[in-house]
Amino acid sequence: MSSDDNRATSSADAGLVTGIGTDTPDGEPLVRVENLKKYFWENDSLLDRLLGDEPVAVQAVDGVSFEIHEGETLGLVGESGCGKSTTGETLLRLQEPTDGRVEFGGTNVYEMAGSDLTAFRRDAQVVFQDPFSSLDPRMTIGDIVQQPLDIHDVGADEERRERVRDLLERVGLSVNQLDRYPHEFSGGQRQRIGIARALALEPEFLVLDEPTSALDVSVQAQVLNLLEDLQAEFDLTYLLISHDLSVIRHICDRVAVMYLGEIVEIGPVEELFGDPKHPYTKALLESVPRATTDERERDRETLAGDVPSPRDPPSGCRFRTRCPAVIPPEELDIDQETYRELMTVRERIESRDISLETVGGDDQFTVEDGSIPEADVPSFVAALKHRLFDDPLPPHHDEMCLRIESTAVNRV
Amino acid sequence: MTDTDDILRVNDLSTRFFTEQGQVNAVDELELRIERGEVFGIVGESGSGKSVTARSVIDLIDAPGEITDGEIWFDDAELAETVREDSPDAVDGSFVDLLSVSPAVRQSLRGTSFSMIFQDPESSFNPSLTVGEQLAEAVEVQRRASANPRSTKAKTDSAEYSFGNLLLSTVLPSQQFVTEESRERAIELLELVGIPDPVERAGEYPHEYSGGMLQRAMIAQALAGEPDVLIADEPTTALDVTIQAQILDLLDDLQTETGMTILLITHNLGVVARMCDRVGVMYAGEIVERGTLEDVFDDHVHPYTEGLLGSIPELEGANGQLEPIGGNVPSLLDHEMEDRCHFADRCPMAMEDCLDHPPEFDATGSEAHTVRCVLATRSYTERDALPPNYFGDEERPAGDKHAEPDRSDGEQPAERTQTTISDAGGESR
Ligand code: SF4
Ligand code: SF4
Repeated sequence: MSSDDNRATSSADAGLVTGIGTDTPDGEPLVRVENLKKYFWENDSLLDRLLGDEPVAVQAVDGVSFEIHEGETLGLVGESGCGKSTTGETLLRLQEPTDGRVEFGGTNVYEMAGSDLTAFRRDAQVVFQDPFSSLDPRMTIGDIVQQPLDIHDVGADEERRERVRDLLERVGLSVNQLDRYPHEFSGGQRQRIGIARALALEPEFLVLDEPTSALDVSVQAQVLNLLEDLQAEFDLTYLLISHDLSVIRHICDRVAVMYLGEIVEIGPVEELFGDPKHPYTKALLESVPRATTDERERDRETLAGDVPSPRDPPSGCRFRTRCPAVIPPEELDIDQETYRELMTVRERIESRDISLETVGGDDQFTVEDGSIPEADVPSFVAALKHRLFDDPLPPHHDEMCLRIESTAVNRV
Repeated sequence: MTDTDDILRVNDLSTRFFTEQGQVNAVDELELRIERGEVFGIVGESGSGKSVTARSVIDLIDAPGEITDGEIWFDDAELAETVREDSPDAVDGSFVDLLSVSPAVRQSLRGTSFSMIFQDPESSFNPSLTVGEQLAEAVEVQRRASANPRSTKAKTDSAEYSFGNLLLSTVLPSQQFVTEESRERAIELLELVGIPDPVERAGEYPHEYSGGMLQRAMIAQALAGEPDVLIADEPTTALDVTIQAQILDLLDDLQTETGMTILLITHNLGVVARMCDRVGVMYAGEIVERGTLEDVFDDHVHPYTEGLLGSIPELEGANGQLEPIGGNVPSLLDHEMEDRCHFADRCPMAMEDCLDHPPEFDATGSEAHTVRCVLATRSYTERDALPPNYFGDEERPAGDKHAEPDRSDGEQPAERTQTTISDAGGESR
């Protein structure tokens, strides 16, 4: 969490726990994220370059913008690989951004240096799913909670110890457990320790990254209640990152739904859950099995297919490969359902899920340079359709299919 | 042993683990009746014994674990006939006690009578063989097994092709055993579980599959022997929610199509509601409440069931402050377990009566509804309540005072106000 330059600069304001965020004029958000991008590069090692492999960008976060107001909880929800955790880490400057800006209390986080940066490191903290994965297992929990105070050189020794005792008690651990080691604690207790550590420097803002995902539901409820209590008590602002829609709904004021590195919908929790607008949000909500006896009878439309790779996200709307509501282009006289199927076929060809070489019987068609001879196209399309659709399309659609599929064929 | 159409009757099953700390009673005198063609759910938190129960049924308990007691009666007339001669005591009508037959016979049932799917499909596949090869192999093994008459001799011979081998996929890359027929069947199976373009996919390696696809392939592998009972241990826990929905739909469809019986192990009450006909709630190695979905979700008696349901944040409509269960899952070490209700140390309604280990009582609702709690027979009175710290402080972490909304005001916010600019390190005094 903290870096060495903090230690060097923090002596200037030793004993002063001030927040840059407190200067925020009324109405200004505490956190403002603008067009944030974070790409990771694959094939970027020296060896790869020597071998001439082109670096591949993984567009983990691709232009997200949102604001978080003081005292509120914003949820960031999405499935694995959607970029929600990377967003959290990048906005805390635990990772350098590829592009975009993040303001904390009106100051650009990526331009902070010196005491500003130190103050930011104090004011903005993070709680991970497993708070100890990055900590020395030989540290006692007292040391773990006290470490941020030591690094930031806050207070005298005895005061630090007193503060640690207060914190542990506040999160519901008993003070006589101070000298024990993390592995002696249950998952829920460990998460309480992680929270105590994050609170040690009296931050204003906490990024909670899947804080309860490893916990059993009864323990999760304890931790969620604790987080709510602490927020009310210390006027905390939260960014809660979670894949669990029920947790998001329970805790958040507003929520942003992410898909493949982008925010597809953002809004107040009640509105977004009550009347989701984006087809992905709808599908996500419909996919969650409810713990009620009428669950089996519930009408639900589930999404087909997998999430495409962020290495090569679909052009246009990123959700189009799975979107049940995808809209046919105007010039195509075709109904929506058929268009959905055609899009799926196209996607499968493009993603090489279907190899064109294997269409038809053995060697029926020769694919050269990724294309097939003009003359074979009609029979090729027929064979492809035969293989992909259970029901043959009505003859009217042949021409459409041909147009779409032959473009796809040519592109492959 | 007749009247209902049970396919599985588990009596008094105890599975223990013998560890350095002592004997762990993971599953304790468990009773289970599963009807043919139903989906029975076992729901519980970690350490409740739900997975050990599943593994005990399919005989997959490894050292230091051991089934120490009990009977697992399986209804299979044909099996009963073949076993009767060698082990007459293991047969009762058309039922066979799987714990009294030879290990070889038990093994021969894996794949054909019982199959299991897991949370993590990687463990079921060998990374260096194509998915198609592995499925074809599974088919082949089942073919051989069913071609052989069920004599004890034949079982021993086929042990080398046992499900255990398949499971670990340590099977030799033995294409020479695999017939064209088995290959075709493998492709059919991939198609059955909704893998697009199965011909092509059969030739790919496990790492070329996405998580959801591999989960489907594992289901295909489990179905290769057309099992009567499918045991699904947290089959969707590692998956994203949209993929989970796909897999649950698939299991549901397959169940309807084949009429197989499913024993579903999960921590997710939503998954139970989506899939199951009946459900048992497990706590500390026991089923503490069981019945139809209505019995358990709407008409439950056990305070643990209540606590579990009260812990889930609701998706539709906010449900105010959550009502978690205080404390932690108890130790299952034999020497630390007392002969009382195992939930008593966390139960808000614990009374004097609860210090005797309660049996399973019938409860209102369907005939299947039973509950291991004295509240099925009497109501709670404060007069009989145990004093609040009866079990000592250790077992009720102080943290859970924060579950009570009204405790958090008072002196605590003062700390914050006093520790602003001038006060070092948040010290308030
Ligand atoms: S494919 Fe079209 S309808 Fe579907 S989410 Fe994207 S833009 Fe919306
Ligand atoms: S038997 Fe007593 S302690 Fe156990 S769950 Fe019932 S009321 Fe609670």
